[in-house]
Amino acid sequence: MAGIWLDALDDIARTCQEHGRGDLLQAVRLKRAHLLDPTLTVLVVGEPNQGKSQLVNAIVNAPVCPVGDGTTTVLPTVLRHAEVASATVVQTPLPGPGTPPAADPPAVQRTPVPTDQIAAGVGGSTGRLPGGGPAYIEIALPRALLGAGVVLVDMPGGGDVATVGAGTPVAALTRADTVLLVTDSTRDLSVNELNMLLHLTRSHSNVAVVQTKTDLVPDWRAVADRNRRHLADAGVPAPLIPVSAALRLHAAATDDHTLNAESGFPALIALLRRHLAAKPDTLARAAVVLTARTVVEQLAAPLRAELTDHRSAEESAPMARLHAAQREVDELRRCATRWQNTLTDEMADLISDIEHDLRDRTRQILRMVDEAFETADPLVAWDAVAQWLEQSLVEAAEANRQWLVQRCDWIARRVAASFARYGHGSLPPWPLTASVGYGAPIPELERPNVDRFTVGQKVFTGMKGSYGGLLMFGLALTLAGMPMINPISIGAGALFGGKSIRDEGKQLLRRRQATVKAAVQRHVDDFFIQVSKDSRDAARRAQRVLRDHFAALTDELQTAIIESLRSAKEAADTDAAARERRQREIQQRMIRLAELYEQAQQVTAARPAPLAPLA
Amino acid sequence: MTGGRLDAQVRDLLHRALHGYRDNPRATELLRHQLARYDQPLRVAVVGGWRSGKSTLLNALMGEEVAPVDGSAFAWYEDGPQPDATGYSTSHPPQRLAVVRSGTGMRVDLTGWRAGELRDIVVRWPARSLRQVTLLDTPAVGVADEQATDPVLDRVLRESDALLYLTRDARGADLRILGATREGVVGQAAPVHTIMVLSRVDESGGGRVDALLGARQLARRALRNPQVDALCATVVPCSGLLGLAGRVLGETEFAALAALARVPRAELEPYLLSAERFARGEPPAGLTAATRGALLERLGVVGIRLATTLVRTGCDNRVALAAELVRRSGLGELRESLNRLFVDRRQVLKARSALTAVEAVLRDEPGPATADLLAALEQLLAGAHEFAESRLLAALRDGRLGFDAELAAEARRLVGGDGDEPAARLGIAPDATLAWLWETAAEARWRWRERADDPALALPQRRGAQVVARSCEGLLADLATAHAR
Repeated sequence: MAGIWLDALDDIARTCQEHGRGDLLQAVRLKRAHLLDPTLTVLVVGEPNQGKSQLVNAIVNAPVCPVGDGTTTVLPTVLRHAEVASATVVQTPLPGPGTPPAADPPAVQRTPVPTDQIAAGVGGSTGRLPGGGPAYIEIALPRALLGAGVVLVDMPGGGDVATVGAGTPVAALTRADTVLLVTDSTRDLSVNELNMLLHLTRSHSNVAVVQTKTDLVPDWRAVADRNRRHLADAGVPAPLIPVSAALRLHAAATDDHTLNAESGFPALIALLRRHLAAKPDTLARAAVVLTARTVVEQLAAPLRAELTDHRSAEESAPMARLHAAQREVDELRRCATRWQNTLTDEMADLISDIEHDLRDRTRQILRMVDEAFETADPLVAWDAVAQWLEQSLVEAAEANRQWLVQRCDWIARRVAASFARYGHGSLPPWPLTASVGYGAPIPELERPNVDRFTVGQKVFTGMKGSYGGLLMFGLALTLAGMPMINPISIGAGALFGGKSIRDEGKQLLRRRQATVKAAVQRHVDDFFIQVSKDSRDAARRAQRVLRDHFAALTDELQTAIIESLRSAKEAADTDAAARERRQREIQQRMIRLAELYEQAQQVTAARPAPLAPLA
Repeated sequence: MTGGRLDAQVRDLLHRALHGYRDNPRATELLRHQLARYDQPLRVAVVGGWRSGKSTLLNALMGEEVAPVDGSAFAWYEDGPQPDATGYSTSHPPQRLAVVRSGTGMRVDLTGWRAGELRDIVVRWPARSLRQVTLLDTPAVGVADEQATDPVLDRVLRESDALLYLTRDARGADLRILGATREGVVGQAAPVHTIMVLSRVDESGGGRVDALLGARQLARRALRNPQVDALCATVVPCSGLLGLAGRVLGETEFAALAALARVPRAELEPYLLSAERFARGEPPAGLTAATRGALLERLGVVGIRLATTLVRTGCDNRVALAAELVRRSGLGELRESLNRLFVDRRQVLKARSALTAVEAVLRDEPGPATADLLAALEQLLAGAHEFAESRLLAALRDGRLGFDAELAAEARRLVGGDGDEPAARLGIAPDATLAWLWETAAEARWRWRERADDPALALPQRRGAQVVARSCEGLLADLATAHAR
């Protein structure tokens, strides 16, 4: 009849192995060994000063555990059966890291304690080796109840659930069949105790609440009723047994059966015996169900977490990469538009700026030349002015060109800035100056044709002017009876001649100046047209070079990014497939776990328990 | 001792804070409240976990059955010409509550109030014990987890000047709760204002008659635990039930006890094994069920065992039995500690609460005046000799000064660790003559001054000795004024 639950337990163990949970497997194996062990381990837990030790004393009718003010149980006390009373401190050496805690029974150190020093031993002051691991004290007593297979464990008082259920090194002891939670009658169950009970009922099938010290409190029945209500409200399926250790001990001393009955202990001991009798069958079944539940919960939790993880988090790594790549493509497209616009705008600006600059410079030169020829005689100053003009024009052209080069360079940098996020080598590798050359040579400045005032001309002009004066004065003086040619008329003639020579000379000069200015103007215009055409061409060339360079760069980047997009897409596709597979696998595993749980449930359902375990 | 100066400084600081926060109505109200409270009697709160015996202890301290009023409200017990109770709730204006006097106390009629509706109940009660102290009965303090502070404890710390903390075992959760009382700058510098009371000691140890003696040992052992010692001024075991029984023991009750005591012990014992046996059975003394119920209510089964034993062993009249019960309950020691550590030091304790409140205001409502006021607060804490004494006391407690036990004990006594009266500080009989006090104080001052100048000692020890010497000088000054009067 033990076969059914053993099979179920083995199934559970196999599942643990399949899931690679060595720790759970270990626990299940221990549970199996433990269930096959006929003794009933009874764990006595509770908050401090509730009378746990006194309860244990009263159960075995012997003052083995020290009680009283301030004496606190520090070491767990284990009561077993033996023909001769003895006490031993059992200490496990600290387990080395990495070794499984209970794979094989570790070598324990056993120190016998004289019976009169049990109190000190329980207080933790005797028999413990310094620096050793956790210990417990084992007391053997010749008692019928213990002889029947009950092992009592008196735990140190502690409000913390963790110290009871967790894998303390004395965990082998805490794998109890029955847990008695001790609370005293002077107050109701506290929230802490209820929490502890809830925790205990999850891992132990037999939990009972023992309400001690009923002798002290007249209205313990009311407290018991309230406690039962608290238990029902909290959904804790634990029976409540009110007892009085003082009455029981007194009854034992006086051999008074009615008093013993009044102490409430017969009910408690009957409960323990019932549990003991039920252990091989009912209790084991219940334990298997609990184990199955714990194991299934433990195994399902990571699976469920993974599943929800899959469902909720679309952003797996390949997916994230794909999205990043798509973003990258968009970004590159934006970047291309951006740099093209920048280049076009900047180049248009550059051309107009350069032209304006050149015009400004040439106008200034022209103005200088005009001023110069306002006074100077081209016959005298031409060479100097021509030389200066030539030089100034060349300088202006150079400066203009310089500026063009700088601006081109700046534009190149500006456009390259759009590619900053792609990093390396975005600037075109050539010096812009090299490609910005002069198209055609600047036209030579021709010497303009200027009229010289020759001596013959002077004589002729002088003669022409003097003729009028001579005649004018000569005729006038003939009236006065003087000859036509007289000194006065000759003087006037000479005067007139000189004046007309000077007038003629001035006129000629002005004409020469005008001619020269016009010539210079023409030359400068030619020069401007030539140079500005060159600059424009150069700017266009630079623009073309830059465009080609950056277009090539964009292409290159695009190829790389599209490549990564494709690979990301592939990765994402494979990942989605893998995830799908994993999801199916998890679902199947979950289904298997559910089946396992179902099967474990049937262990109890198949044959209804003859004794309700928690009646 | 030199409370006058501290008093003036604290008042000054409160006024400065009021001035600095005159634009902030909330802070102003808080500070005004503190200023008003500063002139009222010392507020001692009885705090403890659920069913730790708070109300019983409070009754025992007052010697009358006036508590509990309402389990979920703060009950204030103030001195007043006649019994009177006022209820303050969150929803209604303050309302007079009907008070029903009983033979040994009173009961407040709470019909018409829902549970939890009342926030505060102020009970005025003519009692000598309330002349200097306002007692405060509080709802149960829950088990504090690591982060959240208990709202009840929070309020207690804000509203009271000193605590009687009731615990059954002085361990674990209780210490965690008490740890919250030592927060803030003031909390670190000011004296410990908690007495830990081991309550319901009659029930511990399996209900033996000598449980109280065991509890005394337990208290001494707890006080040796540095963790406990840092949190409370002292640990006193006290059974509120027995103390109250001693204080209100009536002739009829004594007669019943005497009748029980006349029954031979062997015959009586089976009935005293449990409360139920005593109540339901028919003890040979022929007491009615009602009388037995009343006795159980008053003394508990342990108390009845103790009382019958006492009657048998010589306490054969009501007065003697009552006195013996009070003595055994530990109530006397508790009252003595209360007087010595709280009432005598009320100036410092009130200064402590006022400064804590100012600190809280400064912390919660930063304003333009905050920095100045904080500096003033720290200066006050650092400068006041009372706080220097309390810091030295704390240092002596955790033994970090390195004085040997005898010296530490003397220093502790001289700086007022055992009580504030000159005789208590000097460790001589309370009825000593002025001349004797003077001689002892001068001698102590000389010794500690020597120690303060001894280059062989470590600096912290010299500083400590300086504080002790300064305390002795204060004592001498006080004695001189006493002499002049």
